[in-house]
Amino acid sequence: MWTIIKNEIHFLCRNRAMLMISFGFIVVLLISVFLGIKQAEEQEKIYQEAKTHLRSQWVSIKEMNPHSAAHYGTYVFKPTNLLSSLDEGVNSVTGNVLRVEGHVQNEIVHSEASQMISVSKFGKLKSSLLLKFIVPLLLIFLAFYSVSSEKQSGRLKLLILQGAKPFYIVLSKTIAVWFYGFILLSIVVLSYTLLNLSNSTSETFLRLSLLFLSYAIYYFILIGLTIYFSTRWLRTTIALTSMLGIWMIWSVFLPNILMSSVEKWHPLPSRAEFKTAMIEDRSKGIDGHNPSDARGEELKEKVLKEYGVDSISKLPINFDGIRMQADEDYGNIVWDKHFGNLRKVQKKQKEAFQLGGIVNPFISLQNTSMGFAGNDNLHHQEFLVQVENYRRDLIKALNNEHAFGGSKTGNWGWTANNDFYKSIPDFAYKSVALTSVLSNYVLDIALLLGWLIFILLLLIRGAKKMQVI
Amino acid sequence: MKNLNVFLFEWRHFVKNPFKIVALILFMLAGIYGLHNGADLYHKQQAEIERISSEVNADRQEIINYYKEGVKGPEDRPWVDVTNPYWALRYAYKYHFKLPSAAMVYSIGQTEQFGFYKQVTFGSSPLDADMTKEIANPERLQIGTLDFSFVILFLLPLVLIILIYNVGSFENEQGFLNLVLVQYASINKWLLSRVLFYMVLTFLCVIALMIYGTFLTDVFTDESQAFMQITFLVFLYLVMWTVLFFFVLKSAKNILSNTLSMVGIYLLFTFIIPAMVHQWVSIDKPANLMTDFIDATRDEREKLYNEPEVTIHAKLVNLFPEIKNTKTAQDSILNKRVVRRSIAALGNQLTKKSVESIAEESQEKNRKIQNTYWFNPVVYFQNQLNQETRTHYQNYQDYSNNIQSAIDEQVKELVLDMYDTVKVDEKRYLNYTK
Repeated sequence: MWTIIKNEIHFLCRNRAMLMISFGFIVVLLISVFLGIKQAEEQEKIYQEAKTHLRSQWVSIKEMNPHSAAHYGTYVFKPTNLLSSLDEGVNSVTGNVLRVEGHVQNEIVHSEASQMISVSKFGKLKSSLLLKFIVPLLLIFLAFYSVSSEKQSGRLKLLILQGAKPFYIVLSKTIAVWFYGFILLSIVVLSYTLLNLSNSTSETFLRLSLLFLSYAIYYFILIGLTIYFSTRWLRTTIALTSMLGIWMIWSVFLPNILMSSVEKWHPLPSRAEFKTAMIEDRSKGIDGHNPSDARGEELKEKVLKEYGVDSISKLPINFDGIRMQADEDYGNIVWDKHFGNLRKVQKKQKEAFQLGGIVNPFISLQNTSMGFAGNDNLHHQEFLVQVENYRRDLIKALNNEHAFGGSKTGNWGWTANNDFYKSIPDFAYKSVALTSVLSNYVLDIALLLGWLIFILLLLIRGAKKMQVI
Repeated sequence: MKNLNVFLFEWRHFVKNPFKIVALILFMLAGIYGLHNGADLYHKQQAEIERISSEVNADRQEIINYYKEGVKGPEDRPWVDVTNPYWALRYAYKYHFKLPSAAMVYSIGQTEQFGFYKQVTFGSSPLDADMTKEIANPERLQIGTLDFSFVILFLLPLVLIILIYNVGSFENEQGFLNLVLVQYASINKWLLSRVLFYMVLTFLCVIALMIYGTFLTDVFTDESQAFMQITFLVFLYLVMWTVLFFFVLKSAKNILSNTLSMVGIYLLFTFIIPAMVHQWVSIDKPANLMTDFIDATRDEREKLYNEPEVTIHAKLVNLFPEIKNTKTAQDSILNKRVVRRSIAALGNQLTKKSVESIAEESQEKNRKIQNTYWFNPVVYFQNQLNQETRTHYQNYQDYSNNIQSAIDEQVKELVLDMYDTVKVDEKRYLNYTK
């Protein structure tokens, strides 16, 4: 078997056309890695500038009423992820700017896609685009050629006559072509690692390794299937066109159709419906800006009782701050319900889409590629949750200052000083540890492995029924 | 006559090839699915606009009742006074819609990147959060929706490859090409006729799909011009691929090299070039994080609010010289409340400036992309189709500009009516809502 693999690799190395194509591919892959990193760096530069600018505005607040500061608010920008230079996932469509303020949980806005005319339907020239769409095609051609050339030259017959087992022949050919894909994949991963060595952590390596593994399995599936078709069909061109059809259905057609369908099976509300429902629920709580609000009155009575006084003016604290926080606390329950609902629906959509991997391993690859690169919807939602938690902490700190910072109820002119505003930390995104979200990709990995086993079984069957002439 | 024979012969070739028939059927099914996706979005947007409109009417009726009953506003908001222009305009519930085109059935374009309804007040801006896209799963947006334009732009060339990949080469490989040459003096004409057969066949399928699309939305009634233009564009697109593939067939010798070359060209034009252009534009002009807009809507506005009323008044007079003739302006004592409530006009000037500079930056990106059209034809056709179906970036930019005009109009009404101390009645309120 090793002899056949070695021969195959020698053949690939000796073939001038193949060397030229390989050289071209390697150059394009390296360019994609370089451009991906360059683009991530440029975006990171803009991100750092914007972040510093906004932070400097916040720490420059000299004197301001804490509630005015809650309305003044701040902005959080979506950071670039180190692995986004390989697969940027959903980043170009999700929006980049999120307003953090009192009374409301905002949505992330100003996506890159909304800032220009349509360009590429399949995204930027990232390595993932080449590794997902283009390299598989090359591997299909190679795998097809590997068998068809043997058939046409009669070497296949000769090999079998010499005692080589058909299964070992097909497996060797699969491994040889897979090894070629493995090399291309390694070049991408190694060049990426070398160019990012100083910024890489063990988490990066773990993610990169899993990314590498999922692509490697997918390549084996695709190559194995091509070899199977090539061995089964007498007319080799039918094998090739069938595989091209499969490539088209797997990578262009099915993901698109399935994703559109899952959104119909598990529909999301329209923005207007979503807002109306939230406003309705919100109106049932305390109105922080309305002193005559009935629920506010109840809270007032409770606080007066707590402090043992009979009027707000006798309170040693600022009741306005307490009412504002109660308003926030109620609002948070409403946001959790509605935004939580959105997340639930999107989770259902994702689970349904993941099941598509049963008929299409490309879907599993797509999920793992985006996921391991840390740029799928799951990671995006995690970012949004972190921002919302930050918003809640920030507003609570401001309301506490308003309530207990030394002012009295109704004193809206009271201001907190610069030291207080400086003491409030800036938002710091904590990258999601892969181990904490790995369970979400188990199905994708399992389906890829299931496909791998299925392909091995197909190869065994293909070897038994191989059309030698 | 000979060409007709080739056509007829090719038809027999085609019907005897189940692989090609299946490919064409799949293409048609994808087309039908894509048309339904476009039509669904069109109907969904229409329904949403109708729903919002009826809600707005109900809300307005509530305000009209205040005027009729002599009530100043909602009971739980005693500070609201709908006879004051400031509050009357805030409760005008003025919505601005981007009405979907019936031609959306053919291309949803950039529809899903933008909002299509917006409540306009004197404090709004075209970059407000509610101008963002409808709620959608980002992974679905990233993968894209399979609409008719996707079928045309990406699947049609693939179908063409499947239909013609063996034209000429099959005969060559089987060794009877010379026999064909004896019957047809020119191999090029013979090849061209065969390729043209598949081009015509594909075009007829596309026309059939487009006609099917007219039953899903009222394209013929509302957008007959767009229908004709789209047909022409699709024809041009098909001709482009046919010509490219014809030259491949003309120069290639076997099926494998034909297929390789055609798939290579397909990947180059549909994947590599658009992706490279996209990457290049993103490096050259990274996504704008809107800090200028944030500054305009926050810090600069904050500074405005801290200015004395006299300065604000002077700036307002500079902006609207008509103010000089109003009651407040002619009073010897400046009405501070009127000035404060008119401040939105100056805020609008600030945001307008920043919105314009952001739009200009986007246009610069667009120009860069448009300059690549000569070697990036798929993106050219994609944007042309979007333009015809009014789902292009520019259509949303126009929508955004219209919103800005509506804001300007409302700001002017606010300032002049506030300065003129107008007491709003039902008639005037209805005028505000127009």
